[in-house]
Amino acid sequence: MQQTDNNIEHTILNIEHLNKKIIGMSGYKREDFSVCLGCKICASVCTVNDLSIDANPQELLSSLFLGRTVEKNHPLVLFCTNCYRCTHNCPWGIRIPEIIRAFRETLGIESQFEKAFKGAVKIWGRVYEPYVFLKSATYMLKEGYIRYVPKWLEYISFHLPYKIKGR
Amino acid sequence: MEYGYYPGCSLTGSAHRLNSTTKKIFKRFGHDLKEIPDWHCCGAFEYGNKNELTDFSKSNLKKAHGFCNDIVAPCPACYKNLKEANQDDGGSFSILHPLDVFEYFDIVESIDIKHDLEGRLFTPYYGCVLLRPKETAIKNKDIMENFITRFGGDVDGEKVKDRCCGGNQFFINRWATEKLSRLIIDNTHGDLVVFCPLCHMALKTFSENRKVIYFNDLLLYVMGETDKL
Repeated sequence: MQQTDNNIEHTILNIEHLNKKIIGMSGYKREDFSVCLGCKICASVCTVNDLSIDANPQELLSSLFLGRTVEKNHPLVLFCTNCYRCTHNCPWGIRIPEIIRAFRETLGIESQFEKAFKGAVKIWGRVYEPYVFLKSATYMLKEGYIRYVPKWLEYISFHLPYKIKGR
Repeated sequence: MEYGYYPGCSLTGSAHRLNSTTKKIFKRFGHDLKEIPDWHCCGAFEYGNKNELTDFSKSNLKKAHGFCNDIVAPCPACYKNLKEANQDDGGSFSILHPLDVFEYFDIVESIDIKHDLEGRLFTPYYGCVLLRPKETAIKNKDIMENFITRFGGDVDGEKVKDRCCGGNQFFINRWATEKLSRLIIDNTHGDLVVFCPLCHMALKTFSENRKVIYFNDLLLYVMGETDKL
């Protein structure tokens, strides 16, 4: 019984620590979320709902505030488009997309494309698109993006990567 | 007048057309765009650490010190990130989007019309970050409509002009982008007019036979710089 209690306590501490980290990374403090009165305007305008998926940013916010677990496969974590409709309509202008981005980064949720994007920035200080496409080639081939290439011909241009001086 | 210029990564690659047409229009109005030397990627929406993301743009502002006072950034993501970093830094620069500068040029009144848009239908589509959040949004949220109607064109798509095309999910959950882009495409008519490279790609990919053009192309057509739209 003592062991179980210790485990529960340990899990709670971990979740609290994780949530604190996410909130901090997004540039907020926990108490900043206390202004949210649960009006759910964010939920009513969220683009993810247009995908026929129930998405409620307010619920995600209160989970972080109350120290509850947010699942890795939460619809907003998977599908937030960074449209800022929630922020625009929120009476407090809470930047939910940025909290979700912090959540993804803290939990290491990253697509091959995102990894390649950051890889290019690390090497050159800029995104070099041919590198990004090469690095995500297996994913893009597997997922059938190749069929869109005829539509993308106008996007092709040739330039060598440029490594910037200084940060 | 001379402006500092922050093209951003996509304008050096897939959005090269937005880059060349922006430069052309500024030049046509007698303004110079001077590229900030060794600018760094703004980080777009790919970084979860707010400080890390803001620092990218702050370092760009540092590089612009003594180089310019006004910075033009055509890519909506770059524009938003730069503007936020500038606000955070005390606002010593003016971060401008070309649409705001065009308003200042008073293009609607000052253009010598070579081709009008009579009898043509367009859907001006702004997408997300040009209009949101409020602190970084462009000033005139109807500038594309004003321009099109002034030159005789008709506009459609008022209800979806600020909806999301899902471009940000394009290389993660393509079906989501397709569904969101189709909501815009299927509920509008005429050529889709955009200013964002990501919106351009998403709408073009799923638009079947609808034309997707940059607003700059429309401007250059009316000004007679190009004969075909």
